[in-house]
Amino acid sequence: MTEKLVRKTGPRHRNARIVTDFLLPLVATGFGLIVIFPLLWSFMASFFPIGDFTTWPPRLVPSRIEWDNYARAIKESMLLRFMANSLATAAGGTAIRMTVAILAAFAAAFLSFKGRDFLFIVILSTMLIPSDALLIENYLTIQRFGLLDTWFGIVSIYLLAPTQIFMLRQVFKTIPHEFREAAAIDGCGDIRFLTRIVLPMARPVALALTLQSFTSIWNAYLWPLLVTNTARMRTVQVGITMLGFSESLDFGPTFAAISLVTAPVVIAFMALRKKIVEGVAASGLVG
Amino acid sequence: MQSTPHRTIVTRHRRLSRIAPYLYFLPALALAVTFSLWPFFKTVVNSLSIVNLSGRIVEFVGLDNFRELSASGNFRDSLRNTFRFTAMFVPANILACLGAALLCYRKRRGTAFNELLFLLPMAVALSSAALIFKAMFNPTIGIVNWILGIDVDWFNDPAMAMFTLVALGVWLDIGLDFVLLLAALRNVPTQLVEAAAMEGANAWRKFFSIQLPMISPTLLFVVCTNVKDAMLISAPVMILTEGGPYRSTQTLVYQMYLEGFKSGNYTLGSTIGVVVFLLSVVMLLLLFRFEKRGVYYA
Repeated sequence: MTEKLVRKTGPRHRNARIVTDFLLPLVATGFGLIVIFPLLWSFMASFFPIGDFTTWPPRLVPSRIEWDNYARAIKESMLLRFMANSLATAAGGTAIRMTVAILAAFAAAFLSFKGRDFLFIVILSTMLIPSDALLIENYLTIQRFGLLDTWFGIVSIYLLAPTQIFMLRQVFKTIPHEFREAAAIDGCGDIRFLTRIVLPMARPVALALTLQSFTSIWNAYLWPLLVTNTARMRTVQVGITMLGFSESLDFGPTFAAISLVTAPVVIAFMALRKKIVEGVAASGLVG
Repeated sequence: MQSTPHRTIVTRHRRLSRIAPYLYFLPALALAVTFSLWPFFKTVVNSLSIVNLSGRIVEFVGLDNFRELSASGNFRDSLRNTFRFTAMFVPANILACLGAALLCYRKRRGTAFNELLFLLPMAVALSSAALIFKAMFNPTIGIVNWILGIDVDWFNDPAMAMFTLVALGVWLDIGLDFVLLLAALRNVPTQLVEAAAMEGANAWRKFFSIQLPMISPTLLFVVCTNVKDAMLISAPVMILTEGGPYRSTQTLVYQMYLEGFKSGNYTLGSTIGVVVFLLSVVMLLLLFRFEKRGVYYA
Protein backbone atom coordinates (compact mmCIF):
# COMPACT_ATOMS: atom_id res chain seq x y z
CA MET A 1 0.00 0.00 0.00
CA THR A 2 2.74 2.40 0.97
CA GLU A 3 4.84 1.48 -2.01
CA LYS A 4 1.97 2.03 -4.44
CA LEU A 5 1.35 5.48 -3.03
CA VAL A 6 4.97 6.42 -3.29
CA ARG A 7 5.30 5.08 -6.80
CA LYS A 8 2.34 7.07 -8.05
CA THR A 9 3.76 10.39 -6.90
CA GLY A 10 6.36 12.38 -8.77
CA PRO A 11 10.16 12.43 -9.07
CA ARG A 12 10.53 14.46 -5.86
CA HIS A 13 9.25 11.45 -3.97
CA ARG A 14 11.45 9.08 -5.88
CA ASN A 15 14.44 11.07 -4.69
CA ALA A 16 13.04 10.97 -1.17
CA ARG A 17 12.77 7.21 -1.47
CA ILE A 18 16.38 6.86 -2.51
CA VAL A 19 17.36 8.92 0.53
CA THR A 20 15.26 6.93 2.96
CA ASP A 21 15.93 3.47 1.56
CA PHE A 22 19.63 3.67 0.87
CA LEU A 23 21.17 6.67 2.55
CA LEU A 24 19.58 6.40 5.99
CA PRO A 25 20.57 2.76 6.55
CA LEU A 26 24.10 3.68 5.47
CA VAL A 27 24.19 6.57 7.94
CA ALA A 28 22.87 4.20 10.59
CA THR A 29 25.61 1.67 9.83
CA GLY A 30 28.25 4.39 10.00
CA PHE A 31 26.98 5.63 13.34
CA GLY A 32 26.68 2.05 14.58
CA LEU A 33 30.25 1.24 13.61
CA ILE A 34 31.45 4.24 15.62
CA VAL A 35 29.40 2.95 18.54
CA ILE A 36 30.91 -0.52 18.50
CA PHE A 37 34.41 0.70 17.75
CA PRO A 38 35.54 0.38 21.41
CA LEU A 39 34.38 -3.23 21.38
CA LEU A 40 36.20 -4.04 18.12
CA TRP A 41 39.34 -2.24 19.23
CA SER A 42 39.47 -4.05 22.58
CA PHE A 43 39.12 -7.37 20.76
CA MET A 44 42.07 -6.39 18.53
CA ALA A 45 44.02 -5.19 21.54
CA SER A 46 43.59 -8.57 23.21
CA PHE A 47 46.07 -9.90 20.61
CA PHE A 48 48.58 -7.03 20.93
CA PRO A 49 52.09 -8.01 21.96
CA ILE A 50 53.37 -5.69 24.66
CA GLY A 51 55.12 -3.29 22.27
CA ASP A 52 51.95 -2.59 20.27
CA PHE A 53 50.47 -0.54 23.07
CA THR A 54 53.19 2.08 23.06
CA THR A 55 53.54 2.86 19.35
CA TRP A 56 52.57 6.18 17.79
CA PRO A 57 50.36 6.33 15.82
CA PRO A 58 48.41 3.79 17.89
CA ARG A 59 47.80 0.45 16.25
CA LEU A 60 44.40 -0.73 15.08
CA VAL A 61 45.43 -4.31 14.35
CA PRO A 62 48.12 -6.32 16.13
CA SER A 63 51.59 -6.50 14.52
CA ARG A 64 51.47 -10.22 15.24
CA ILE A 65 48.91 -12.29 17.08
CA GLU A 66 49.91 -12.77 20.71
CA TRP A 67 47.95 -15.80 21.99
CA ASP A 68 50.01 -15.65 25.14
CA ASN A 69 47.77 -12.80 26.39
CA TYR A 70 44.91 -15.28 26.73
CA ALA A 71 47.03 -17.93 28.36
CA ARG A 72 48.34 -15.42 30.89
CA ALA A 73 44.90 -13.95 31.57
CA ILE A 74 43.73 -17.41 32.61
CA LYS A 75 46.88 -18.74 34.27
CA GLU A 76 48.26 -15.70 36.08
CA SER A 77 45.00 -14.35 37.42
CA MET A 78 41.96 -15.83 39.12
CA LEU A 79 39.74 -14.95 36.15
CA LEU A 80 38.03 -18.33 36.06
CA ARG A 81 37.30 -18.13 39.78
CA PHE A 82 35.90 -14.60 39.29
CA MET A 83 33.64 -15.86 36.51
CA ALA A 84 32.43 -18.72 38.68
CA ASN A 85 31.59 -16.25 41.47
CA SER A 86 29.73 -14.02 39.03
CA LEU A 87 27.81 -16.93 37.51
CA ALA A 88 26.84 -18.30 40.91
CA THR A 89 25.74 -14.97 42.33
CA ALA A 90 23.92 -13.82 39.17
CA ALA A 91 22.12 -17.16 38.71
CA GLY A 92 21.38 -17.77 42.40
CA GLY A 93 20.45 -14.15 43.05
CA THR A 94 18.13 -14.08 40.05
CA ALA A 95 16.44 -17.32 41.16
CA ILE A 96 15.78 -15.96 44.67
CA ARG A 97 14.78 -12.54 43.37
CA MET A 98 12.28 -13.94 40.89
CA THR A 99 10.82 -16.34 43.49
CA VAL A 100 10.38 -13.52 46.00
CA ALA A 101 8.86 -11.25 43.36
CA ILE A 102 6.50 -13.89 41.94
CA LEU A 103 5.19 -14.88 45.38
CA ALA A 104 4.53 -11.27 46.42
CA ALA A 105 2.98 -10.33 43.07
CA PHE A 106 0.78 -13.42 43.16
CA ALA A 107 -0.57 -12.64 46.63
CA ALA A 108 -1.14 -9.01 45.65
CA ALA A 109 -3.04 -9.96 42.51
CA PHE A 110 -5.07 -13.02 43.54
CA LEU A 111 -5.43 -13.31 47.32
CA SER A 112 -7.47 -11.01 49.51
CA PHE A 113 -6.51 -10.57 53.15
CA LYS A 114 -6.44 -7.91 55.78
CA GLY A 115 -3.73 -5.29 55.28
CA ARG A 116 -2.79 -6.54 51.82
CA ASP A 117 -2.74 -3.15 50.12
CA PHE A 118 -0.89 -1.51 53.00
CA LEU A 119 1.81 -4.21 53.07
CA PHE A 120 2.10 -4.04 49.29
CA ILE A 121 2.71 -0.31 49.47
CA VAL A 122 5.33 -0.92 52.15
CA ILE A 123 7.15 -3.21 49.71
CA LEU A 124 6.77 -0.78 46.81
CA SER A 125 7.89 2.20 48.90
CA THR A 126 11.46 0.86 48.76
CA MET A 127 11.43 1.91 45.09
CA LEU A 128 11.97 5.48 46.26
CA ILE A 129 15.10 4.70 48.27
CA PRO A 130 18.21 4.32 46.09
CA SER A 131 20.41 1.55 47.44
CA ASP A 132 23.49 3.73 46.84
CA ALA A 133 22.30 6.01 49.65
CA LEU A 134 22.29 3.02 52.04
CA LEU A 135 25.72 1.54 51.26
CA ILE A 136 27.15 2.21 54.70
CA GLU A 137 24.28 0.80 56.76
CA ASN A 138 23.88 -2.22 54.48
CA TYR A 139 27.61 -2.87 54.75
CA LEU A 140 27.37 -2.77 58.55
CA THR A 141 24.41 -5.19 58.43
CA ILE A 142 26.31 -7.68 56.29
CA GLN A 143 29.34 -7.32 58.56
CA ARG A 144 27.25 -7.96 61.69
CA PHE A 145 25.67 -11.08 60.16
CA GLY A 146 29.20 -12.30 59.34
CA LEU A 147 28.33 -12.41 55.64
CA LEU A 148 31.32 -10.50 54.26
CA ASP A 149 33.09 -12.54 51.57
CA THR A 150 30.07 -14.74 50.90
CA TRP A 151 27.92 -15.18 47.82
CA PHE A 152 24.87 -14.28 49.87
CA GLY A 153 26.49 -11.04 50.98
CA ILE A 154 27.18 -10.12 47.36
CA VAL A 155 23.57 -10.64 46.23
CA SER A 156 21.82 -9.56 49.45
CA ILE A 157 20.80 -6.05 48.42
CA TYR A 158 19.64 -7.19 44.97
CA LEU A 159 17.14 -9.78 46.18
CA LEU A 160 14.22 -7.37 46.39
CA ALA A 161 13.16 -5.71 43.13
CA PRO A 162 10.04 -3.63 43.83
CA THR A 163 9.63 -2.47 40.21
CA GLN A 164 9.62 -6.08 39.05
CA ILE A 165 7.07 -7.03 41.70
CA PHE A 166 4.86 -4.20 40.51
CA MET A 167 5.18 -5.17 36.84
CA LEU A 168 4.46 -8.83 37.60
CA ARG A 169 1.36 -7.89 39.60
CA GLN A 170 0.08 -5.79 36.71
CA VAL A 171 0.48 -8.77 34.38
CA PHE A 172 -1.06 -11.23 36.87
CA LYS A 173 -4.05 -8.93 37.23
CA THR A 174 -4.92 -9.40 33.58
CA ILE A 175 -5.57 -13.10 34.29
CA PRO A 176 -9.29 -13.58 35.16
CA HIS A 177 -10.09 -14.71 38.72
CA GLU A 178 -12.42 -17.37 37.32
CA PHE A 179 -9.32 -19.36 36.38
CA ARG A 180 -8.41 -19.65 40.04
CA GLU A 181 -11.90 -20.66 41.06
CA ALA A 182 -12.08 -23.27 38.33
CA ALA A 183 -8.67 -24.57 39.34
CA ALA A 184 -9.72 -24.73 43.00
CA ILE A 185 -12.84 -26.77 42.10
CA ASP A 186 -10.60 -29.22 40.28
CA GLY A 187 -8.55 -29.55 43.49
CA CYS A 188 -5.65 -27.39 42.40
CA GLY A 189 -4.09 -25.43 45.26
CA ASP A 190 -2.66 -21.92 45.06
CA ILE A 191 0.94 -22.96 44.53
CA ARG A 192 -0.02 -25.34 41.73
CA PHE A 193 -2.30 -22.70 40.23
CA LEU A 194 0.64 -20.30 40.29
CA THR A 195 3.18 -22.63 38.71
CA ARG A 196 0.87 -24.39 36.22
CA ILE A 197 -1.42 -21.61 35.04
CA VAL A 198 -0.31 -18.10 36.08
CA LEU A 199 3.40 -18.36 35.26
CA PRO A 200 2.98 -19.93 31.81
CA MET A 201 0.51 -17.14 30.95
CA ALA A 202 2.96 -14.45 32.10
CA ARG A 203 5.97 -16.06 30.46
CA PRO A 204 7.22 -13.30 28.11
CA VAL A 205 7.33 -10.74 30.91
CA ALA A 206 8.76 -13.19 33.44
CA LEU A 207 11.52 -14.09 30.98
CA ALA A 208 12.35 -10.44 30.26
CA LEU A 209 12.54 -9.69 33.99
CA THR A 210 14.71 -12.76 34.60
CA LEU A 211 17.15 -11.59 31.94
CA GLN A 212 17.14 -8.09 33.40
CA SER A 213 17.82 -9.43 36.91
CA PHE A 214 20.65 -11.60 35.72
CA THR A 215 22.42 -8.79 33.88
CA SER A 216 21.96 -6.28 36.69
CA ILE A 217 23.53 -8.61 39.28
CA TRP A 218 26.22 -9.71 36.81
CA ASN A 219 27.11 -6.05 36.13
CA ALA A 220 27.11 -4.85 39.73
CA TYR A 221 30.37 -3.23 40.75
CA LEU A 222 30.41 -1.04 43.86
CA TRP A 223 28.55 -3.31 46.29
CA PRO A 224 30.45 -6.54 45.41
CA LEU A 225 33.66 -4.53 45.79
CA LEU A 226 32.66 -3.40 49.28
CA VAL A 227 31.58 -6.77 50.68
CA THR A 228 34.48 -8.87 49.39
CA ASN A 229 37.90 -8.68 50.98
CA THR A 230 39.66 -11.72 49.55
CA ALA A 231 40.59 -12.10 45.91
CA ARG A 232 38.91 -15.50 45.57
CA MET A 233 35.47 -14.11 46.41
CA ARG A 234 35.57 -11.29 43.86
CA THR A 235 33.14 -11.16 40.98
CA VAL A 236 34.31 -10.65 37.41
CA GLN A 237 33.39 -6.97 37.42
CA VAL A 238 35.53 -6.27 40.47
CA GLY A 239 38.29 -8.73 39.70
CA ILE A 240 38.89 -7.60 36.13
CA THR A 241 39.93 -4.14 37.35
CA MET A 242 42.47 -5.72 39.70
CA LEU A 243 44.17 -8.28 37.50
CA GLY A 244 47.50 -6.68 38.24
CA PHE A 245 48.71 -6.59 34.64
CA SER A 246 47.91 -2.99 33.81
CA GLU A 247 50.68 -1.58 35.98
CA SER A 248 53.40 -1.37 33.33
CA LEU A 249 51.56 -0.81 30.04
CA ASP A 250 51.14 -4.58 29.90
CA PHE A 251 47.52 -4.25 28.81
CA GLY A 252 47.37 -7.37 26.61
CA PRO A 253 46.23 -9.91 29.23
CA THR A 254 43.68 -7.45 30.61
CA PHE A 255 42.10 -7.04 27.17
CA ALA A 256 42.24 -10.80 26.69
CA ALA A 257 40.33 -11.15 29.96
CA ILE A 258 37.80 -8.53 28.83
CA SER A 259 37.29 -10.42 25.55
CA LEU A 260 36.87 -13.74 27.36
CA VAL A 261 34.24 -12.24 29.65
CA THR A 262 32.42 -10.30 26.94
CA ALA A 263 32.45 -12.77 24.05
CA PRO A 264 29.76 -15.15 25.40
CA VAL A 265 27.39 -12.24 26.03
CA VAL A 266 28.05 -10.72 22.60
CA ILE A 267 27.33 -14.07 20.94
CA ALA A 268 24.15 -14.45 22.99
CA PHE A 269 23.06 -10.97 21.88
CA MET A 270 23.69 -11.80 18.24
CA ALA A 271 21.55 -14.89 18.53
CA LEU A 272 18.81 -13.29 20.61
CA ARG A 273 18.64 -9.83 18.97
CA LYS A 274 15.09 -10.29 17.70
CA LYS A 275 13.87 -11.72 21.02
CA ILE A 276 15.45 -8.85 22.97
CA VAL A 277 13.88 -6.15 20.80
CA GLU A 278 10.49 -7.87 20.99
CA GLY A 279 10.86 -8.74 24.68
CA VAL A 280 11.37 -5.10 25.63
CA ALA A 281 8.24 -4.18 23.73
CA ALA A 282 6.35 -7.01 25.44
CA SER A 283 7.52 -6.30 28.98
CA GLY A 284 5.10 -3.39 29.16
CA LEU A 285 7.81 -0.79 29.45
CA VAL A 286 6.68 0.82 26.23
CA GLY A 287 3.56 2.75 25.34
CA MET B 1 -12.75 -39.71 71.03
CA GLN B 2 -12.04 -39.95 67.34
CA SER B 3 -13.31 -36.50 66.53
CA THR B 4 -10.62 -34.70 68.54
CA PRO B 5 -7.63 -35.22 66.23
CA HIS B 6 -9.91 -34.57 63.30
CA ARG B 7 -11.00 -31.25 64.74
CA THR B 8 -7.45 -30.11 65.44
CA ILE B 9 -6.51 -30.87 61.87
CA VAL B 10 -9.42 -28.80 60.62
CA THR B 11 -8.63 -25.83 62.86
CA ARG B 12 -4.97 -26.07 62.00
CA HIS B 13 -5.89 -26.11 58.33
CA ARG B 14 -8.13 -23.10 58.81
CA ARG B 15 -5.47 -21.22 60.70
CA LEU B 16 -2.94 -22.04 57.98
CA SER B 17 -5.22 -20.78 55.25
CA ARG B 18 -5.60 -17.55 57.18
CA ILE B 19 -1.83 -17.13 57.59
CA ALA B 20 -0.90 -18.43 54.13
CA PRO B 21 -1.45 -15.17 52.21
CA TYR B 22 0.94 -13.41 54.56
CA LEU B 23 3.57 -16.08 53.91
CA TYR B 24 3.63 -15.08 50.24
CA PHE B 25 4.47 -11.52 51.27
CA LEU B 26 6.90 -12.49 54.01
CA PRO B 27 10.16 -12.83 51.98
CA ALA B 28 9.60 -9.54 50.17
CA LEU B 29 8.66 -7.76 53.39
CA ALA B 30 11.62 -9.18 55.29
CA LEU B 31 14.00 -8.04 52.54
CA ALA B 32 12.34 -4.62 52.34
CA VAL B 33 12.79 -4.07 56.05
CA THR B 34 16.31 -5.54 56.35
CA PHE B 35 17.97 -3.98 53.32
CA SER B 36 15.96 -0.84 52.67
CA LEU B 37 13.54 0.54 55.27
CA TRP B 38 15.55 -0.14 58.43
CA PRO B 39 18.90 0.97 56.95
CA PHE B 40 17.13 4.04 55.58
CA PHE B 41 15.81 4.90 59.04
CA LYS B 42 19.27 4.26 60.51
CA THR B 43 20.95 6.42 57.86
CA VAL B 44 18.62 9.31 58.64
CA VAL B 45 19.26 8.94 62.38
CA ASN B 46 23.01 8.68 61.73
CA SER B 47 22.94 11.88 59.72
CA LEU B 48 21.58 13.64 62.81
CA SER B 49 24.23 12.17 65.13
CA ILE B 50 27.90 11.39 65.58
CA VAL B 51 28.60 7.77 64.68
CA ASN B 52 31.68 5.77 65.72
CA LEU B 53 33.66 3.26 63.67
CA SER B 54 31.47 0.29 64.60
CA GLY B 55 28.41 2.19 63.40
CA ARG B 56 27.07 3.01 66.88
CA ILE B 57 25.61 6.40 67.69
CA VAL B 58 27.67 8.42 70.19
CA GLU B 59 25.82 11.69 70.33
CA PHE B 60 22.76 13.37 68.84
CA VAL B 61 23.69 16.63 67.12
CA GLY B 62 20.58 17.68 65.19
CA LEU B 63 21.27 19.31 61.85
CA ASP B 64 24.93 20.09 62.62
CA ASN B 65 26.19 17.53 60.08
CA PHE B 66 24.19 19.14 57.29
CA ARG B 67 25.45 22.57 58.29
CA GLU B 68 29.03 21.32 58.28
CA LEU B 69 28.47 19.61 54.94
CA SER B 70 26.99 22.64 53.19
CA ALA B 71 29.94 24.72 54.32
CA SER B 72 32.55 22.28 53.02
CA GLY B 73 34.12 23.01 49.66
CA ASN B 74 34.69 19.30 49.14
CA PHE B 75 30.97 18.58 49.26
CA ARG B 76 30.11 21.57 47.08
CA ASP B 77 32.51 20.24 44.45
CA SER B 78 30.77 16.87 44.55
CA LEU B 79 27.36 18.47 44.25
CA ARG B 80 28.45 20.69 41.36
CA ASN B 81 30.14 17.77 39.58
CA THR B 82 27.09 15.56 39.98
CA PHE B 83 24.83 18.20 38.44
CA ARG B 84 27.37 18.94 35.73
CA PHE B 85 27.55 15.27 34.82
CA THR B 86 23.75 14.96 34.78
CA ALA B 87 23.34 18.09 32.66
CA MET B 88 25.83 16.77 30.10
CA PHE B 89 24.95 13.10 30.18
CA VAL B 90 21.15 13.15 29.89
CA PRO B 91 20.85 15.33 26.73
CA ALA B 92 23.80 13.60 25.07
CA ASN B 93 22.35 10.20 25.81
CA ILE B 94 18.84 11.08 24.65
CA LEU B 95 20.21 12.57 21.42
CA ALA B 96 22.36 9.52 20.68
CA CYS B 97 19.67 6.96 21.51
CA LEU B 98 16.81 8.79 19.82
CA GLY B 99 18.99 9.43 16.76
CA ALA B 100 19.90 5.76 16.54
CA ALA B 101 16.28 4.69 17.03
CA LEU B 102 15.03 7.10 14.34
CA LEU B 103 17.61 5.72 11.91
CA CYS B 104 16.53 2.13 12.56
CA TYR B 105 12.82 2.06 13.35
CA ARG B 106 11.66 1.53 9.75
CA LYS B 107 12.38 -2.03 8.72
CA ARG B 108 14.53 -1.88 5.59
CA ARG B 109 17.41 -3.90 4.23
CA GLY B 110 20.23 -3.85 6.77
CA THR B 111 18.08 -2.79 9.71
CA ALA B 112 18.69 -6.04 11.56
CA PHE B 113 22.45 -5.51 11.31
CA ASN B 114 22.19 -1.87 12.39
CA GLU B 115 20.01 -2.82 15.35
CA LEU B 116 22.67 -5.26 16.44
CA LEU B 117 25.38 -2.59 16.31
CA PHE B 118 23.46 -0.33 18.68
CA LEU B 119 22.47 -3.21 20.95
CA LEU B 120 25.94 -4.63 21.46
CA PRO B 121 27.20 -2.09 24.02
CA MET B 122 24.54 -3.56 26.31
CA ALA B 123 26.53 -6.80 26.26
CA VAL B 124 29.61 -5.15 27.73
CA ALA B 125 29.76 -4.84 31.49
CA LEU B 126 30.50 -1.55 33.19
CA SER B 127 33.99 -2.30 34.44
CA SER B 128 35.14 -3.85 31.14
CA ALA B 129 33.88 -0.79 29.28
CA ALA B 130 35.57 1.53 31.77
CA LEU B 131 38.90 -0.26 31.24
CA ILE B 132 38.53 -0.04 27.46
CA PHE B 133 37.74 3.69 27.64
CA LYS B 134 40.63 4.27 30.01
CA ALA B 135 43.03 2.85 27.45
CA MET B 136 41.38 4.61 24.49
CA PHE B 137 41.46 8.00 26.18
CA ASN B 138 45.04 7.54 27.39
CA PRO B 139 46.64 10.94 26.70
CA THR B 140 49.99 9.69 25.40
CA ILE B 141 49.22 6.43 23.58
CA GLY B 142 45.42 6.56 23.35
CA ILE B 143 43.61 6.07 20.09
CA VAL B 144 41.02 8.80 20.71
CA ASN B 145 43.52 11.64 20.50
CA TRP B 146 45.00 10.11 17.35
CA ILE B 147 41.65 9.66 15.57
CA LEU B 148 40.41 13.13 16.45
CA GLY B 149 43.81 14.60 15.65
CA ILE B 150 43.96 16.43 18.98
CA ASP B 151 46.30 16.47 21.93
CA VAL B 152 44.10 16.52 25.02
CA ASP B 153 45.36 15.42 28.40
CA TRP B 154 42.01 13.77 29.22
CA PHE B 155 42.72 12.53 32.72
CA ASN B 156 44.95 15.37 33.93
CA ASP B 157 42.90 18.29 32.68
CA PRO B 158 40.11 19.21 35.11
CA ALA B 159 38.10 20.73 32.27
CA MET B 160 38.22 17.57 30.15
CA ALA B 161 38.02 14.58 32.50
CA MET B 162 34.25 14.88 32.83
CA PHE B 163 33.86 14.31 29.08
CA THR B 164 35.41 10.86 29.37
CA LEU B 165 32.80 9.99 32.02
CA VAL B 166 29.98 11.30 29.82
CA ALA B 167 31.27 9.33 26.83
CA LEU B 168 31.45 6.17 28.92
CA GLY B 169 28.03 6.81 30.44
CA VAL B 170 26.36 7.27 27.06
CA TRP B 171 28.11 4.23 25.67
CA LEU B 172 26.97 2.03 28.56
CA ASP B 173 23.38 3.23 28.28
CA ILE B 174 22.88 3.31 24.54
CA GLY B 175 21.82 -0.33 24.14
CA LEU B 176 18.86 -0.37 26.50
CA ASP B 177 17.55 3.14 25.81
CA PHE B 178 17.89 2.52 22.07
CA VAL B 179 15.70 -0.59 22.28
CA LEU B 180 13.10 1.17 24.40
CA LEU B 181 12.81 4.11 21.99
CA LEU B 182 12.93 1.79 18.97
CA ALA B 183 9.99 -0.21 20.29
CA ALA B 184 8.10 3.01 21.06
CA LEU B 185 8.66 4.41 17.55
CA ARG B 186 7.50 1.14 16.03
CA ASN B 187 4.34 1.29 18.12
CA VAL B 188 3.32 4.59 16.55
CA PRO B 189 0.42 3.71 14.19
CA THR B 190 1.77 3.85 10.62
CA GLN B 191 -1.52 5.29 9.30
CA LEU B 192 -0.88 8.46 11.29
CA VAL B 193 2.60 8.96 9.88
CA GLU B 194 1.47 8.12 6.33
CA ALA B 195 -1.51 10.46 6.51
CA ALA B 196 0.80 13.26 7.59
CA ALA B 197 3.19 12.47 4.73
CA MET B 198 0.34 12.57 2.21
CA GLU B 199 -0.69 15.97 3.43
CA GLY B 200 2.80 17.19 2.75
CA ALA B 201 4.39 17.10 6.20
CA ASN B 202 8.18 16.93 6.00
CA ALA B 203 10.34 14.73 8.21
CA TRP B 204 10.74 17.38 10.94
CA ARG B 205 7.04 18.09 11.07
CA LYS B 206 6.27 14.36 11.18
CA PHE B 207 8.65 13.86 14.05
CA PHE B 208 7.64 16.83 16.21
CA SER B 209 3.88 16.70 15.60
CA ILE B 210 3.25 12.96 15.58
CA GLN B 211 6.11 10.73 16.62
CA LEU B 212 7.44 12.76 19.53
CA PRO B 213 4.05 13.14 21.25
CA MET B 214 3.30 9.44 20.68
CA ILE B 215 6.57 8.25 22.21
CA SER B 216 6.55 10.82 25.02
CA PRO B 217 5.60 8.31 27.78
CA THR B 218 8.60 6.14 26.87
CA LEU B 219 10.80 9.18 26.48
CA LEU B 220 9.79 10.39 29.93
CA PHE B 221 10.58 6.97 31.36
CA VAL B 222 14.02 7.03 29.73
CA VAL B 223 14.72 10.58 30.93
CA CYS B 224 13.64 9.63 34.48
CA THR B 225 15.90 6.59 34.68
CA ASN B 226 18.74 8.58 33.04
CA VAL B 227 18.48 11.40 35.57
CA LYS B 228 18.30 8.96 38.48
CA ASP B 229 21.28 6.95 37.24
CA ALA B 230 23.27 10.13 36.54
CA MET B 231 22.68 11.52 40.03
CA LEU B 232 23.89 8.22 41.50
CA ILE B 233 26.94 7.70 39.28
CA SER B 234 29.91 6.23 41.13
CA ALA B 235 31.40 3.08 39.59
CA PRO B 236 32.62 4.69 36.33
CA VAL B 237 34.20 7.44 38.43
CA MET B 238 35.99 4.88 40.57
CA ILE B 239 37.51 3.01 37.64
CA LEU B 240 38.04 5.76 35.08
CA THR B 241 39.08 8.91 36.95
CA GLU B 242 39.04 8.20 40.70
CA GLY B 243 37.38 11.57 41.16
CA GLY B 244 40.36 13.42 39.75
CA PRO B 245 42.08 15.48 38.61
CA TYR B 246 41.68 17.93 41.50
CA ARG B 247 38.27 16.51 42.47
CA SER B 248 36.90 17.65 39.10
CA THR B 249 35.00 14.37 38.65
CA GLN B 250 34.24 13.56 42.28
CA THR B 251 30.49 12.89 42.46
CA LEU B 252 28.21 12.60 45.49
CA VAL B 253 28.09 8.82 45.78
CA TYR B 254 31.81 8.62 45.11
CA GLN B 255 32.47 11.09 47.94
CA MET B 256 30.16 9.06 50.15
CA TYR B 257 32.23 5.98 49.34
CA LEU B 258 35.44 7.85 50.12
CA GLU B 259 34.14 9.23 53.44
CA GLY B 260 32.48 6.00 54.53
CA PHE B 261 34.90 3.36 53.39
CA LYS B 262 38.26 5.08 52.90
CA SER B 263 38.17 7.56 55.79
CA GLY B 264 35.83 5.52 58.02
CA ASN B 265 33.70 8.60 58.60
CA TYR B 266 30.23 7.03 58.85
CA THR B 267 28.73 10.29 60.11
CA LEU B 268 29.62 12.27 57.02
CA GLY B 269 28.95 9.28 54.75
CA SER B 270 25.41 8.86 56.12
CA THR B 271 24.76 12.59 55.83
CA ILE B 272 25.72 12.51 52.15
CA GLY B 273 23.53 9.41 51.78
CA VAL B 274 20.53 11.40 53.01
CA VAL B 275 21.37 14.23 50.59
CA VAL B 276 21.53 11.70 47.75
CA PHE B 277 18.12 10.34 48.73
CA LEU B 278 16.55 13.80 48.96
CA LEU B 279 17.98 14.82 45.59
CA SER B 280 16.64 11.72 43.85
CA VAL B 281 13.17 12.25 45.36
CA VAL B 282 13.12 15.93 44.35
CA MET B 283 14.21 15.02 40.82
CA LEU B 284 11.44 12.43 40.52
CA LEU B 285 8.83 14.89 41.78
CA LEU B 286 9.97 17.51 39.28
CA LEU B 287 9.75 14.99 36.46
CA PHE B 288 6.26 13.92 37.50
CA ARG B 289 5.13 17.54 37.45
CA PHE B 290 6.51 17.77 33.96
CA GLU B 291 4.64 14.60 33.03
CA LYS B 292 1.25 16.19 33.71
CA ARG B 293 1.92 18.93 31.19
CA GLY B 294 4.18 17.40 28.58
CA VAL B 295 3.22 13.76 28.13
CA TYR B 296 0.55 12.47 25.79
CA TYR B 297 -1.13 9.16 26.57
CA ALA B 298 -2.94 7.46 23.71
